[in-house]
Amino acid sequence: MSQNIKSLHVNWRSAASIFVLLLIWELAARAHLTPPLFLPPFSSVADQLWHSLADGTLATDLALSLGRAFAGLILATLLGVFIGLLMARNRFAEWLIDPLVALGFPSPKIAFIPIFVLWFGIASLSKILLVAFACIFPIVIGSYSAARSISHVFLWSAMSLGSDRKSLFLHIILPACYPRIFTTFRVAVPVSLITTFTAEMVAGGGGMGATLIYSQRFFESPTVFAYILVMLGVGLLLDLTMVQFQKHFLRWAEI
Amino acid sequence: MHFKRISVTAVRAFVRVGPLILIAALWQLVCGTGLVNREFLPAPVSVAIAFADLFSGGDIAKNLLITLYRAAAGLALGTICGVWIGLMMARSEKFRAYVTPIVGGTYSLPKSALIPLFALWFGIGNVTAIAAVFLACLLPMIVNTYHGVITTPKVLVWSAETLGTAKHELLAHVFLRNALPDIFTGLRIALGFSFVLAISAEMIASTNGIGKLIFMFGENGTYDYMFAAIACVVVVAFLADRAMLAVTRYSLRWHESAVSRLDERRA
Amino acid sequence: MLNLVRPKIDIRRVSKTYASDHGPVPALRDTDLAVKEGEFVSIVGPSGCGKSTLVYIVGGFLAAEGEVVIDGEPITGPGTNRGVVFQEYALFPWLTVRDNIGYGLERQRVAVAEREKVISRLIGVIGLSGFEHRYPRELSGGMKQRVAIARTLACDPAILLLDEPFGALDAQTREIMQDELLRIWLENRKTVLLVTHDVTEAVYLSNRICVMSARPGQIIQQFAVELDRTRPREELVLSNAFNDLRNEVWLSVRRQALAAGQGTDAL
Repeated sequence: MSQNIKSLHVNWRSAASIFVLLLIWELAARAHLTPPLFLPPFSSVADQLWHSLADGTLATDLALSLGRAFAGLILATLLGVFIGLLMARNRFAEWLIDPLVALGFPSPKIAFIPIFVLWFGIASLSKILLVAFACIFPIVIGSYSAARSISHVFLWSAMSLGSDRKSLFLHIILPACYPRIFTTFRVAVPVSLITTFTAEMVAGGGGMGATLIYSQRFFESPTVFAYILVMLGVGLLLDLTMVQFQKHFLRWAEI
Repeated sequence: MHFKRISVTAVRAFVRVGPLILIAALWQLVCGTGLVNREFLPAPVSVAIAFADLFSGGDIAKNLLITLYRAAAGLALGTICGVWIGLMMARSEKFRAYVTPIVGGTYSLPKSALIPLFALWFGIGNVTAIAAVFLACLLPMIVNTYHGVITTPKVLVWSAETLGTAKHELLAHVFLRNALPDIFTGLRIALGFSFVLAISAEMIASTNGIGKLIFMFGENGTYDYMFAAIACVVVVAFLADRAMLAVTRYSLRWHESAVSRLDERRA
Repeated sequence: MLNLVRPKIDIRRVSKTYASDHGPVPALRDTDLAVKEGEFVSIVGPSGCGKSTLVYIVGGFLAAEGEVVIDGEPITGPGTNRGVVFQEYALFPWLTVRDNIGYGLERQRVAVAEREKVISRLIGVIGLSGFEHRYPRELSGGMKQRVAIARTLACDPAILLLDEPFGALDAQTREIMQDELLRIWLENRKTVLLVTHDVTEAVYLSNRICVMSARPGQIIQQFAVELDRTRPREELVLSNAFNDLRNEVWLSVRRQALAAGQGTDAL
């Protein structure tokens, strides 16, 4: 019982924190403590948000950005898991791909935007491929290390129970990797969003990022704030979704 | 004996770099035979020439330094504040309750989305970039420091107390020391972020820096220079990561994990 | 109780209750114990009876009802007059053997020269010459525990509190460490409170054994031990006097364990 009361306390403070922040925002803006350009009142941001929603621009932008991010993410996951597992099982593949991964992982993939734009234009294709490029590295590394760290006890048990190579892979190795792969997938999701938004800000071609930078260049601060809040909301929602997914489908794993 | 050690390391290094040489050779072949339009894929040779030109002209060095300065400043600030906040969160329930929603909220926000906002507030230039890097580095440092401090074994704290450690000394002598491995993990992540945000900010809202340079070369169509600048960034980021790993290995030489060095190649 | 000599450690009606998901759990109830200066007292009892809790309370790490009076003064928290050795060694992993041993001395601002003298002497006492600059991760369990004991002895506390110090060691190492501890105690006659689940160890080392009941713990039986400790282990352990006493104590503990029922640690 005392545990529940304790958790309530935390929530009370947390809610208070946010509420106070919003209050300060609204009051400071209204009192013209800051130029309206810098900090438009929360009410006008909310207003702008409503308008964007109503006339469909927000929906279009959001759909475009999220679509690109997810397409890139799925591509990265399929390719990345394949490559990671391949590297774990095949010495030649490991030798060939290792330096590419070692070089690629720490490098800021954002720097490659101009190359992708050069090759694939400013429409969605370049964004999707850039996202895939950015997300593939952690997924390859995660899959590789997941496959390598499977305890041979599992493999030996399966083999002594009569598993052949194919079923060994499908029924033992792959499922054992799911938790680790999912963790890296979770890491890759915010990467996909950041990459999409940044690419849109730099290269245009529609989407949340493009509208965001457009608004900034024309000093439409309510829109800037509104879009940032939407991005925040989307990020939160996605993370919550993944936590739920993990709870249901990966209950058996000790993550 | 000594000679043998050197040649073994040299062979090993060559083997690791082998695929890159292979790819460069393939690249040159593809360009040489005109399979691909020169416009889209400059040959490695011309990229190398462009690089030499930039290097001698000082353009790359100048802009790279600007970018590194922004990244380093943001990283340093983000680390100091992040460690302090993480520490406070771990030591004070009240502080944690107040701060958690703010921290949790910024986790979900792609930090580069704030670049236009900062451009609105601080204009085009250093402050915007440093602010963006600062915010991006803050979160991993907070989260990792918090985890490191909160998992400090009771018996270590008790031992320290019984050996005469004053309450205020516990922070530096026990909690932060115990959190060091986690802090370094966060630092590696933050390092990566610092490069990404600095370059993003430069591409979007700056007049200088290597991000801007790359962008400009792209706009002007001088693609071999663009490739050269990008290659430069990749190499620098790689070296910075290696340097970080070396510092980590030395600082954490007391840690149980110090035994296996093979795993450090990976994330 | 009429005491002509004031006890070194006076535990008066100490009780401790833990909060848990299933309601309050009493760990100790009205425990009384008086330890004279220079005594070696062991506390034995079934698992979960609260013996470790008692020692933590005497160490000043846990708050409790009742009083713990040391040299006539009630304690208010951990102190350098009570050295503690934990089962988990609790060595600071980021410090070398030398620095671990000297930690308490450093906290108390002892001069470097003096510090070095004490450390060198203790390293000799525990027989770890040549290992001064190693980190705990490079040591075996027995070696770690020796360093832990040396670290505690460095501050020369009047009282030693040991919580199952040899529990994590293998049987041979345990015997060696027991002899070490006995030798050290015979040299400087500190007041020792030892918690152990090993009845043989208790009989071998102490001059008084307290048997604790099952949870909530109370001291329900005490045994005085009058064995000639100058005899070598082989003679002593095989003698009738030793084994008769050991059997008595074991029986007492066993009765407590059975009274508690099976699987008492369900919480």
